Amino acid sequence: MTAEAAPTPHSSATSHEGEGYLTHERGLKSWLFTLDHKRIGVMYLGSILAAFLLGGIMALLVRTELMFPGETMMEADTYNQVFTLHGAIMVFLFIIPSIPAALGNFFLPIMLGAKDVAFPRLNLGSFYIYMLGTVFTVVAILVGHVDTGWTFYTPYSARADTSVVWMTMGVFILGFSSILTGVNFIATVHKMRAPGLHWKRLPLFIWGIYATSIIQVLATPVLAITLLLLTLEKTLTIGIFDPALGGDPVLFQHFFWFYSHPAVYIMILPGMAVINEVIATFTNRKIFGYMFVAMSSISLALVGFLVWGHHMFTAGMSEYATMVFSALTFLVAIPSGVKVFNWVATLYQGSISFKSPMLYALGFIALFTIGGLTGLFLGILSVDIHLHDTYFVVAHFHYVMVGGTVFGFLSGIHYWWPKMTGKMYNETLARVAFTLVFIGFNVTFFSQFIMGSQGMPRRYYDYLDQFQPLHMASSGGAYILGLGFIVMLWMFVKSLMSGEKAPPNPWGSAGYEWMTSTPVHPHNFAEPPVMTRGPYDYHLCKEEELWDGFPEDFEKQKAEA
Amino acid sequence: MYYFVYWVSVAFTVAIFAAMAWFMWKYRRRPGVKAKPTGHATALEITWTFAPLILLVILFHEGFTGYVKGAVAPEDSLEIRVRGMQWNWEFEHRGGVIDDLNYLRVPVNTPVRLVMSSSDVLHSFFVPAFRVKRDVVPGMYSTLWFEATHETPDVTCEQDADCPEGLWCGNVPPGEMDRKCALPIFCTEYCGAPQGITASAFDEGGRNSNHSTMMGDLAVITTEEYDEFIEAGPPPPAACAGREDIAECWGEKIHQQYCVACHGVDGAQQQPAPNWKGLFGNQRQFTDGSSAEADENYIRTSILQPQSQIVQGYSNVNMPPFRFSDNQLDAIIAYMRSLNE
Repeated sequence: MTAEAAPTPHSSATSHEGEGYLTHERGLKSWLFTLDHKRIGVMYLGSILAAFLLGGIMALLVRTELMFPGETMMEADTYNQVFTLHGAIMVFLFIIPSIPAALGNFFLPIMLGAKDVAFPRLNLGSFYIYMLGTVFTVVAILVGHVDTGWTFYTPYSARADTSVVWMTMGVFILGFSSILTGVNFIATVHKMRAPGLHWKRLPLFIWGIYATSIIQVLATPVLAITLLLLTLEKTLTIGIFDPALGGDPVLFQHFFWFYSHPAVYIMILPGMAVINEVIATFTNRKIFGYMFVAMSSISLALVGFLVWGHHMFTAGMSEYATMVFSALTFLVAIPSGVKVFNWVATLYQGSISFKSPMLYALGFIALFTIGGLTGLFLGILSVDIHLHDTYFVVAHFHYVMVGGTVFGFLSGIHYWWPKMTGKMYNETLARVAFTLVFIGFNVTFFSQFIMGSQGMPRRYYDYLDQFQPLHMASSGGAYILGLGFIVMLWMFVKSLMSGEKAPPNPWGSAGYEWMTSTPVHPHNFAEPPVMTRGPYDYHLCKEEELWDGFPEDFEKQKAEA
Repeated sequence: MYYFVYWVSVAFTVAIFAAMAWFMWKYRRRPGVKAKPTGHATALEITWTFAPLILLVILFHEGFTGYVKGAVAPEDSLEIRVRGMQWNWEFEHRGGVIDDLNYLRVPVNTPVRLVMSSSDVLHSFFVPAFRVKRDVVPGMYSTLWFEATHETPDVTCEQDADCPEGLWCGNVPPGEMDRKCALPIFCTEYCGAPQGITASAFDEGGRNSNHSTMMGDLAVITTEEYDEFIEAGPPPPAACAGREDIAECWGEKIHQQYCVACHGVDGAQQQPAPNWKGLFGNQRQFTDGSSAEADENYIRTSILQPQSQIVQGYSNVNMPPFRFSDNQLDAIIAYMRSLNE
């Protein structure tokens, strides 16, 4: 943005003081019927955090039960329901919508310099569909007895309690929310970019969300069909998956993973997308190999469609199919590796600031590296035969999903919190929380790698005595992790109640979203922006654009100098 | 293979972490020092995009070779039928010898091929000691094979800690027998739990009650011991175990399972085969004109070679030759004798 052509960002902040998106309209109705993508994003964030809390409580229940072999605090049947709910809530209600629906909704239009998404009404519709799906899911939890695992494998799920129908209907509905959001974002990225924002300047966050949207639109319908078939089988006893009715249970696994493997990339790509922004900001440097990183997101999205079979190496597929899926699976390592190498290379010759968002981003790189490399073990056929369905797999996907996506999500929340709320938070508390979360996470899940390689099967309520010390360590880690989240929650609540007022660009970032006022103007920018530089062109920025205090202080400081 | 990929991963992890740590220290933010603008390094990008491919091809190839070895059983493998059911394993050896529930014995140094099926939901058969695993799917057969190289030591135990490393203190056997250390067999495909029933870790009578306790004992024994076990045939059914009239009870069960369709036990004259009541000790008139007393040897021959001596009035003999073990034949005879009392 040159000084002549565009509005000086920080002057807009002062001229629209008090007219942020949070306060320009008031009352419950102004929220429930809002078409503002920022408010919808905030409502998503609220419901997603509630789901995260619920799923987290389930996780602690699971870990508490597993501290000792045999019955510790609940029966096997109860335990099976609890771990099912932990998985289903975390996957469908939390991780899948977390970054795209909450942070994506809020920042995608701003980073494009647009006023809103392409279809604001559809956007609100997606939110209410998400809520409807959530209601179905919660009803299934309260009324029924869902103990199938989040994968709903047949024929167990076909014979289980009818509340499984409620649960699958809930997930079915949630899928539509996901599809519509994807369509909306794709249209927005194609059509709503500000003048001057060509594809080579597109923020990498947008590239990541764009790749995610493609998967959401293409893969989610398959899940919808699968769950619909499952529901039809259960209600009308049509034989599709249940061998007792003439169906094929392995067919369900193919259908299910045809969605759920791409869904893994729906989960991880947005996490990577956030990390790009954070690393660029806190190194004051454009991401190394920008185009390679952008294309690696797209290629992950595409390759992600071809590797579903690696969930089924022991399921009874032909040896040829197994071979092909194993070979394709290794291709995933290439774009993942490209990203990690480029992030590390971005640190080189940067100017690195270790604020809490950056700590989570660096934590992401470390944990994703471990999560990714342990994926190699599972891609190697002969090794997978031993590790399949053991705690090794559990640890692997938690390293990718929690160490990856959740760390990315937390990094994003810490990073954009001042922009969203207009408040700063206590950095010391945030670092304490990070330390607890990072240590707790590693203690919880690294011990599970060891257990898994020793043959501890997953989804076990009871286990052999030899695994007890490691289970104990894992549970201890889970409590540290939980404590970290409590500190974080307290830190954010404190910020909302009594946090300092945030300047428009507290991290001194060159990113487009930091050019607008804080809290964000209801129309994102007071005047439509024109992009004259890339979002990471620190060397092209004027001093004023990177100023991390209040604009009026900048003038003062300049005068003093 | 595991250790190869392990060290490859460790090397990558250490390299990446070391680079991160070094950069994080060297390029930490210092006043007056600005970040250098990012340049282009296409050659470097291409290198780290395609160089790992070579490593990945090696990993894939090694993994696939090992997998194929594990997927194709040698031709002379010993076959054992495995049936998974909520929440137990049943093993049937050749000759129809069905072992105690959740108990699998295999001969040492012999390739063993398991042919597996499930009667309800998905299960998965996993022996960590042999690194073999395969899903057990209703509606189809799946197979796996392994060859045990060591016998399992014969150790009685009360808890897992009493056993040598890698073994567990097996399921509680039926009756009053001691628990023995064995290699664990796990079910690794989630298969549920009964609703509203407390599932304890070691359930009575060798039966298991949920996914996590669906465990089997694997005992590796010598080839001689295995042959003896097959010779001896299947043990008496659990319903008869411990009873005083165990042989008669067992014979009755065999009759109900195999013989009742043709042989009655109520003493009535009948077709297509003689009634068993009052048969033992009777004089038999044969179609060739000879006769004999129905003693133990006569009964045994009639079961094993039904066509050898045909009783007058029963010209059309369709009885198949049964391959019962000596113990089973004894039980049948004991049952027949008891019918005369």
